[in-house]
Amino acid sequence: MPVPGVPILEGLYPSTLDLYPLEAKEFNRIYQFYDNLRENRFTTTKCKKCGTTPFPPRVVCPKCNSDDLEWVDLPTKGKVLRFTEEVAGVPHGFDAPLIHALIELEDGRKLICRIANCKEGELKEGAAVQLFAYEVPPMIVEKRGVMEEKPRMFFAFEPVK
Amino acid sequence: MADRKVCIVAGGMDKWGVREASVVDLAQEAAQDCFDDVPALKKEEIDGLLFASSYCGRTSFQVNPAPVIAERIGLKPTSICSRLDTLCAGGSSGIILATGLIRSGMADVVMVVGGEKLYTPQRWETYYSEMASIDHDWDGAQGMGLPPPFFSMTAQEHMKRYGTTKEQLSAVSVKNRRNGSTNPNAQFQKEVSLEEVMAARPIAPPLGLFDCTPITDGCAAVILTHEDKAKELSDKPLVYVRGTAQTSLHSMSMNWPGEHLADWVHLRTAAKRAFEQARVKPADIDVAQTHDCFTISEIIEMEDLGFCKKGEGGPFVESGQNDFGGKIPTNTDGGLLSCGHPFGATGIRQAREMLFQLQGRAIRQVEGAKMGLAHNLSGLNVEHTILIYGREP
Repeated sequence: MPVPGVPILEGLYPSTLDLYPLEAKEFNRIYQFYDNLRENRFTTTKCKKCGTTPFPPRVVCPKCNSDDLEWVDLPTKGKVLRFTEEVAGVPHGFDAPLIHALIELEDGRKLICRIANCKEGELKEGAAVQLFAYEVPPMIVEKRGVMEEKPRMFFAFEPVK
Repeated sequence: MADRKVCIVAGGMDKWGVREASVVDLAQEAAQDCFDDVPALKKEEIDGLLFASSYCGRTSFQVNPAPVIAERIGLKPTSICSRLDTLCAGGSSGIILATGLIRSGMADVVMVVGGEKLYTPQRWETYYSEMASIDHDWDGAQGMGLPPPFFSMTAQEHMKRYGTTKEQLSAVSVKNRRNGSTNPNAQFQKEVSLEEVMAARPIAPPLGLFDCTPITDGCAAVILTHEDKAKELSDKPLVYVRGTAQTSLHSMSMNWPGEHLADWVHLRTAAKRAFEQARVKPADIDVAQTHDCFTISEIIEMEDLGFCKKGEGGPFVESGQNDFGGKIPTNTDGGLLSCGHPFGATGIRQAREMLFQLQGRAIRQVEGAKMGLAHNLSGLNVEHTILIYGREP
């Protein structure tokens, strides 16, 4: 289907409008994170030299500058500290209410993320949540004129039912 | 290297709102208003241009806009001609960098222009582009980027921890909309009552429509130069850049630096540095423009900038302590809640209002104002930027 106003884009993949990361290994050096998601593992990189374990994963340790890193598992369970249900102005690609929460993982690490599989009014502070890894639209990598679809995963957290 | 004192000598802006104009058109309007503010200055004397814009690459399909703007407004820069992107603080970043260049002698007269054309022919694209404005791969893909959810959680934290009320949040909106009602450049010039703010439709509860800054098209411009040149240009009182700071301590969704979401360590860190550089204390500031992207933001800014104690921001704003006649009149031209927020332009709009306040020519004048503070928060609270302006160097 031609793109209105930009018919020249018919059949093309505009990666600068892609909501999700360019996860294929041709386009980043942390694709292992996405591969691990496929096994429902939530992972990051740990520095073998100084032990620093930052999230998101790195290719160089931000503390000691070493590039000798290994993949380690993070907890996939946590609890909700604060949450919000956005009812207006939700971006294209998401439905209202769009729920986000500040959660604390079992190792004490805090992060802000989307809460999936949850209706408006259902979530409570203190609620237990777990990793929800899910498939998102594949990205396209073109090689010698051939468009190849690369499957992709992304993550949110969901209430433990 | 030289160590010159740096003054802001002119300010201009266009009508902000939903504008039937491109970003290049808007930059020309703001620059014209700014040139008109300092008639003695010839364009040939301006050797530097900084253009602050975050979204031009997405909503105007224009990267490297600075040479385009320079050509359109009739400048031929020889010291610097560059774009800056610090999202909501881009304009203030421009003023900080211009100050450094002029102070060191690397530039003599620098114009800082900033702004955005945010409204796209289809509205989805504006909202969608917001997901490029944070950590795209980690936060954008979670549907974060539009700020109301983050500030909703911040407001809940402040309310639960300190007893802040929805009435106190609303008081910020009532004050800033009143201040903006006489500002012809503001996006909104209609006052709102406490009842209207309280009853407005929810965006991300407890935040309603009037708790949030809108999406805005617009540009603003200022000109900075060294003290000797500033004296040549006009008889108006000189307004000096006295202190600056910009902090970035974490990424949006991870590694929050405070103990909780209403604890803005990065703002206190910036404030300490800026106050020390300016050799003043919060009590010395006569007028402030702080980043009221949301009503809760202004409340926490009063606390972490040191204008009131931590946790007392709610009663402080409700009792009029940051209104005219109070301790620290804040957002005297209407702030973001009234003027709107074309990201790269906001710090420049604040600088223009500071110039006018300290020269005694603001629309809503704080009598005898001699020292002013401007503050920006950028992104989903990942950076804080402060500029302190004074009548004395």
